Amino acid sequence: MTFNRFVKTVFLTEIVKGMALTLKTFFSPPVTRQYPKEKRPAAPGFRGLHALARDFQTGEARCVGCGLCAAVCPSKCIYIYTADSLDHKKIVERYEIEVLRCVFCGLCVEACPYSAVALTEHYEYSDYSRDAFYMTKEKLLANYDKYMGPEKDREYYRKFWHPTSDDFGTPANQAVFRGKQ
Amino acid sequence: MDKGAAELQTRELTINMGPQHPATHGVLRLVLDLDGETVVKCTPYIGYLHRGVEKLAENRTYLSALPLTDRLDYISAMANNQGYCLAVERLFGVEAPERAKYIRTMVAEMSRISSHILWLGTHALDIGAMTVFLYAFREREWLLDLFEMLCGARLTTSYARIGGVRNDVSQEFIDSLYRFTGEFPRRIEEYETLIDQNRIWLKRTKGIGVIEADEAVNWGLSGPTLRGSGVSYDVRKHAPYDAYDKVEFDVPIGKRGDVYDRYRCRMEEMRQSNRIIRQCIEKLPVGPVMAPDAPKISLPPKDNVLKTMESMIHHFVLITKGPMAAPDGEIYSCTEVPKGELGFYFVSDGSGRPYRMRVRAPSFVHASVIPRLCEGSLVADVIANIGTVDIVLGECDR
Ligand code: SF4
Ligand code: SF4
Repeated sequence: MTFNRFVKTVFLTEIVKGMALTLKTFFSPPVTRQYPKEKRPAAPGFRGLHALARDFQTGEARCVGCGLCAAVCPSKCIYIYTADSLDHKKIVERYEIEVLRCVFCGLCVEACPYSAVALTEHYEYSDYSRDAFYMTKEKLLANYDKYMGPEKDREYYRKFWHPTSDDFGTPANQAVFRGKQ
Repeated sequence: MDKGAAELQTRELTINMGPQHPATHGVLRLVLDLDGETVVKCTPYIGYLHRGVEKLAENRTYLSALPLTDRLDYISAMANNQGYCLAVERLFGVEAPERAKYIRTMVAEMSRISSHILWLGTHALDIGAMTVFLYAFREREWLLDLFEMLCGARLTTSYARIGGVRNDVSQEFIDSLYRFTGEFPRRIEEYETLIDQNRIWLKRTKGIGVIEADEAVNWGLSGPTLRGSGVSYDVRKHAPYDAYDKVEFDVPIGKRGDVYDRYRCRMEEMRQSNRIIRQCIEKLPVGPVMAPDAPKISLPPKDNVLKTMESMIHHFVLITKGPMAAPDGEIYSCTEVPKGELGFYFVSDGSGRPYRMRVRAPSFVHASVIPRLCEGSLVADVIANIGTVDIVLGECDR
């Protein structure tokens, strides 16, 4: 046994070092977030509860019932029932999302050609019954009013969800390394 | 021996560990036959998390099947997305543009760090070091916040796309990530201060779960579990994909192939990942993030869908039928995910959906080696052995 090893064994150096580190951390500011009281802001592309956007002119749902969102959905949890109206227009009779089966991939938002379906930033929903998570068209429109509508300055058509042709070309001000700050 | 003593002969005791045992990291169930403190036989039972991902993919278009891959190894979704997209890209013969390659490399390495951090925290916690767990999660939080900033989700990212990535990175993201890479080596040192030389840690890990190099190869191990035994095999080095041939990094290997060496390998790997991320940021080129011929394979840009007829038609066909002009044939493509070698094997019949998707999941292979590591060892080392092969049951059961 070398001298160093002897000192280490007897004086528990590695344990003392570890303890010193925990002691130092003990006096540093805590990183814990006091969740229900203190909420973290959601990121711009956050995928929360669904909503159906209202047309700002008519106040009706923008959705035209093309069915793309239902086709792209990996968990097949969007149900759309359309019918012909008397003046031969396609109307969306029912638009339903089974939120409990949704995996929040956001593909429906990406697929929708009318930007009619959106994901809000609301994530605190829990209930005692499954029915509460079966979102009908009315509930989805209500979600929009509640979580997206009132803030008029917030675009529901978020660029984040709808990459434009800029992203296929070379945008002028792309993020690059700016040197060590 | 008189009659009384013969009656006192002990039999082997069969106990059930899991599937809800916190140290089995998911829903692994082990049936252990014990002779006193020694494990005589260990039988893993898997399949509690089986969701039929491979079968599900057959009914989805190539685009819609992407979110399924998030849920294979759910703690490193970015790396899975990358592996999946790369395989499909190779099948279709498209290549992501430079910038997208660098971004994908960067986020895959971020997920490697976050996966290894989680592994370190839980592995140390299983063996009895609580503090490391708390410290590790502090850094993991930073990375997950960055993921959220990038794509809106912390774990199930669905970020990579066939032919590139979904959206460009923001300047804020780049700056924050660069700060992280500056800070992170110090944090690794902190973890090491806590356990690297700690005598309890050494006693619990050195010489435990030894597997020799040739045997490790025969078991089909990969990733740090293989490299801990001294085999230098890394897909990133041997068949470079994305930007791995443009960055410098070393492949750390161990010597003895025990729990401690695999731990050292993963710690070093985190340093190397950190290095790769730094280089990726420094070299990040400007340019598009989607391949120019991707509109035939991935969704066209949104403004074009609203304005031009052609894009609108592409958009509809892509979503309802899947990518056009899928070639007939099959392809196997593998990437190095944090757990090991993740392979995707596609058979295509020319339609927009995979005819067959097979996932070569490292965790599945690694779960098979657990009996080999546990048999003959003490029952207390079983959790050290489960931890050291680093399995995730989502990927193992698929
Ligand atoms: S977020 Fe994904 S899983 Fe949920 S409804 Fe939309 S497409 Fe379906
Ligand atoms: S894709 Fe949009 S417009 Fe089409 S049915 Fe879905 S929500 Fe309605």
